[in-house]
Amino acid sequence: MAVCIAVIAKENYPLYIRSVPVQNELKFHYTVHTSLDVVEEKISAVGKAMADQRELYLGLLYPTEDYKVYPSHMIIVYYTPVCIFFLLIENILLYRHTRYGYVTNSKVKFVIVVDSSNTSLRDNEIRSMFRKLHNSFTDVMCNPFYNPGDTIQSKAFDSMVSAMMVQAS
Amino acid sequence: MTNAELFTLTYGALVTQLCKDYENDEEVNKQLDKMGYNIGVRLIEDFLARSSVGRCQDFRETADVIAKVAFKMYLGITPSVTNWSPAGDEFSLILESNPLVDFVELPDNHSSLVYSNLLCGVLRGALEMVQMAVEVKFSQDTLRGDNVTEIRMKFIKRMEENLPAGDE
Repeated sequence: MAVCIAVIAKENYPLYIRSVPVQNELKFHYTVHTSLDVVEEKISAVGKAMADQRELYLGLLYPTEDYKVYPSHMIIVYYTPVCIFFLLIENILLYRHTRYGYVTNSKVKFVIVVDSSNTSLRDNEIRSMFRKLHNSFTDVMCNPFYNPGDTIQSKAFDSMVSAMMVQAS
Repeated sequence: MTNAELFTLTYGALVTQLCKDYENDEEVNKQLDKMGYNIGVRLIEDFLARSSVGRCQDFRETADVIAKVAFKMYLGITPSVTNWSPAGDEFSLILESNPLVDFVELPDNHSSLVYSNLLCGVLRGALEMVQMAVEVKFSQDTLRGDNVTEIRMKFIKRMEENLPAGDE
């Protein structure tokens, strides 16, 4: 079961992408990119909703891609510009994708691609994963040797992501 | 009670700026030590005023005061004093945590940087003002992969009562 975690800068280039198994990486880049388009749409649709961090929940979004290569994927999109969106993407074909996204107030986006045919991760679990990601991300930011805009090369961040990848799959 | 994060980030910005300016880890280490020294010679007055410890009878007492009073007062941590040399002139301070290095990860191109070298200078400068010449260095560093941070302090000699040394 493959899982991908990506961190995207506010200029929409990736700061960090990790996926398991590794050969899916390019496809995940693609997935993440398309999900970003969706997010932008949703953000502009919401407009000036100055809601608290966990408020808005949006419904289904139908995918355009076909991920036959992978056995059941679930990609859940979970974004919070100032609020949270849930976008469930269901593949009309055989497999289901769930992509979760999360946007910080500084417009940095996190995307988690979860592949779970049998176990669907509960909302709370995803939220806590994003919280952990966000916390580790702020730790990386606080490293004086890290220049904002660089790719993330922190070992602590890597190990946190590895732990999440194993757990989520 | 100022925010510890601001302090940590300030120190981090200082070190990275020194790295950019000098582009040489050894040079940065030296500068950090010098800066620490200048802090130390002033800090000792504040320390003596606030803690009102008397003159230490021997080096062991000095070690205890440094670990239990000074570190606690300024960094909020209490390192442990261990590894006394047989002659009693050298000991180690073991720091489980170091507030200066929260969030810090040393990149590979700065492998010989002693990030917290300021502390060595501070200790050296402060003790010099109480007529003790010491040598202070880091023998273990969590930033380099060790489990703990260890500062090794060695007593060199008792100094004559003379005019205070100028700034370096």
